[in-house]
Amino acid sequence: MEIDWGLFAELFGRTFTFWWVILPAILLGLIVGAIPGFSAANTIIILLPLTLAMEPEIGLIFMVALYASSRMGAGIPAILVNIPGTAGAAATPLDGYPMTKQGRAQQALAISFVSSVFGGLLTTILALLAMPWLSQVAYHLHSVEMIVIMLFGISLIATIAAKDTLKGLIAGFFGLMIGYIGADVVYETPRGTFGFLELYDKVPLIPALVGLFAVSEAFAVIEGESILTKRGMEAMQKAGWAETWEGVRLAVSRWWHIIWTSIIGLVIGVVPGAGAAIASFVAYQQSKTFSKTPEKYGTGHLDGLVAPESANNGVTSGTLIPLLVIGVPGGATAAIMAVVLQYHGVTVGPDLFDSQPELAYGAFTAMAVTYAIMILTVLPLARYMSRITVVSTTYMAPIIISFTLVGAFVPRAYVFDMYLALAFGVIGYVARKTGYHVAAILIGVILGPLLENYFLRALRISQGDVMVIFSSNLGDVMWVMLIVSLFVPMYLDRRRKRQAEQAVPTTTDC
Amino acid sequence: MSDENGPDTGKPAKKAAGAELVLPVAGLIFTIYYFTTIIDVPWTAQVSAFFVGTILIGLIIALIIRTVIQVRRGEASLSLAPLIAPRDYVPKRLALLGLTLSYVFFIEWGGFTITTFLFLLCSMLLLSGGKKKGLILTISLILSVGGYFLFIVVFNTRFPKGPVETMLHGVF
Repeated sequence: MEIDWGLFAELFGRTFTFWWVILPAILLGLIVGAIPGFSAANTIIILLPLTLAMEPEIGLIFMVALYASSRMGAGIPAILVNIPGTAGAAATPLDGYPMTKQGRAQQALAISFVSSVFGGLLTTILALLAMPWLSQVAYHLHSVEMIVIMLFGISLIATIAAKDTLKGLIAGFFGLMIGYIGADVVYETPRGTFGFLELYDKVPLIPALVGLFAVSEAFAVIEGESILTKRGMEAMQKAGWAETWEGVRLAVSRWWHIIWTSIIGLVIGVVPGAGAAIASFVAYQQSKTFSKTPEKYGTGHLDGLVAPESANNGVTSGTLIPLLVIGVPGGATAAIMAVVLQYHGVTVGPDLFDSQPELAYGAFTAMAVTYAIMILTVLPLARYMSRITVVSTTYMAPIIISFTLVGAFVPRAYVFDMYLALAFGVIGYVARKTGYHVAAILIGVILGPLLENYFLRALRISQGDVMVIFSSNLGDVMWVMLIVSLFVPMYLDRRRKRQAEQAVPTTTDC
Repeated sequence: MSDENGPDTGKPAKKAAGAELVLPVAGLIFTIYYFTTIIDVPWTAQVSAFFVGTILIGLIIALIIRTVIQVRRGEASLSLAPLIAPRDYVPKRLALLGLTLSYVFFIEWGGFTITTFLFLLCSMLLLSGGKKKGLILTISLILSVGGYFLFIVVFNTRFPKGPVETMLHGVF
C-alpha cells in the first residue's frame, strides 16, 4: 500500500461536500452517545433501512460520522452528571465530574471536546499513513499477549484506588467475579447465575454501567439541593464565554499529552475486541504514572480528563484498521459497517484499497472531516450544556433514574435488565458510601469475560500447561512492561513521600 | 465516610469500619456461592474463576484482619453509620427506592409513557416535599411525552410498550 497524496487531497475535498450527511450524523451521534443504553452500533442497526438505501460512499460517511460523534457525546454526561454514556467514557468522570462540582463544567466540556477532536483527528491521520504497519499489530497478538493486556487493565484498579489499594483491589476482583457470571464458553455450563436464564449470556454491560454510575449517583445526590458545591454554584452563575476559551487554552497547552494518550487509544483500538473502555483506563493509568502530580488525579485534574478523552477517540480510527485491512472488525460498530458494505457488494479486506480506494481511504477522510466539523459545531454548545448542573437534584435525580433504567432495557428488551441495573445501583451506592470506587468494579465486569476467554484459549492450545503464559517473546516483553508499570508508581510514590518527610524538618529549621 | 466520636466529644475520631465490610462480605458470600455452582463442571469452566475467586477471598481476609487490628487498637468501630448517613434522608431515600421498584415492576404493563409520567411526578413531589406542584406536573408531562416522541416515534427504539403506545401506534 503506497501513499497517494493526490488521492487523499481529492478525498478530503470530496468528503467536505457531504457536509449535509455529516452534520445530522454528528447531531444524532452526540445524542445517542450521551444516553446510556444507546450506542452508535444500536443506532446504525435501527437506521439500517436508511443506510442500506444510501449509496455505499454516503452510507459509509454517515456511519463513520455517527460513530465518531457518539464517542464524544458519551463524555458529556460523564462530566456533567457523573454518568458515562458508554463504557468507553467510564474513565472520564474520574476527573471530569470533580471539575463540574467545582463549577468548572464549561471548562471541562471544552477540554473534553478539544482533546476528543484533536486526539481523534491526529489518530485518524496517523491511521491513514501507518495503516500497512498498524494492521500487523493484530497478527502478533494471540491469547497469551491478550492475557497480559487484560492484566494491564486489572492493574488499573490499583491506580484508580490510590487512596486504599486493598479496597480498590477488592472492588476490582469483585467486579471480575461478577463478570464471570454466565455459561462458560466451551461447555455452556451456567455458573453463578442464581437460576436466571437472562444471565446465561454473561452480565450485560449497560445495566452494570447504568446501575453503578447513574442509579447509585441519583440516590446519593438527593442529600443536597444541587450537585455543585457552594463555591461551584457561585462560579457557575458567573460563568460566561471566557470559561469555554479558558478550557480550549488549557487543552491546547496539553498538546503533547493529547498526542501520546490518543496514540495509546489508536494502538489498543487496532486490537479486535479490546475497545475504548480499556484504552481510556490504560491512558488514564499511564498519564498518572508519568505525572509529576499524581496525587491530584481524581480531584479534577486536567490531565486526568485529557487522557481518557483523547484515548477513547483514538480507538475510533483504530477499530477501522483491522476491518479495512484484514477484514476483521475491531468492534461492534465496525462489524455493522462491514455488514452494510457487504450488502452493497463491497468486500472489506486488503483488495478494497486497490478495487475501491475511495471507500477504503474514504472511511478515514470522513472521520477526519467529521472531527474538523465537530469542533466548530460542538464547542459553542459547552456554555449551554454546562447549565444543566444548576438544575436542582429534586428534578435531576428522578429524571436520571427513569431514563437510564429504560436505557438499560433497550439493548435486549428485557425488564430483567432494569432490575439488574437497580441491583447494581445498590452495589454502587454501598460502594460510594464506604469508599470503594465504582469504576474499579466496572473494569472488573468488563474484563472478567475477556480474561477468561483468553485464559481458556491459551490453556487449551497448551493442553493445560499454565507456563504457556510465558511462552511468547512479545508476551514476555509485555510481562516486564506490566511489572514495571505496577512498581514504578509505587517507587515514585515512596520517593515523593520520603522527599516530603525530608522537607518538613528543613522547613522547621528555618 | 463519616466517623464516630468527632471533635465535639473530645475523643479521637474512629473510622466506621463495619460499613467498609459490607461489600467484601457480599463479595465473599457471592464467591462461595459461585464456587458451589462450578464444583462439578469441567476444569475449563472452573480454572479462571477459582484463580480470581481465591485472590478475592485472600484480599477480603486481609481487609478483615486489618479491620480487627484497627478495632482492637480503638482506631475503628464496627458501626454501619456511613451507609445511612445523613439519617434525615433515610425515609426519603427508602421511599424513592420503593417508587423505583414500583416503576420497574409496572413498566412492563403500563409502558414507558404513562409509567414514566407517574414515576417522575411522584418522585419529584416526594423530593420537593410537595412544593411546586404545577412545575413538577409540567416537567413530568413534557419529559414523558417528549421521551415517547423522541425514542419511540422518531428513533423507533425498543422501549417498554403499554396501552398508550399501542393506542398511538396507529396515529404515529
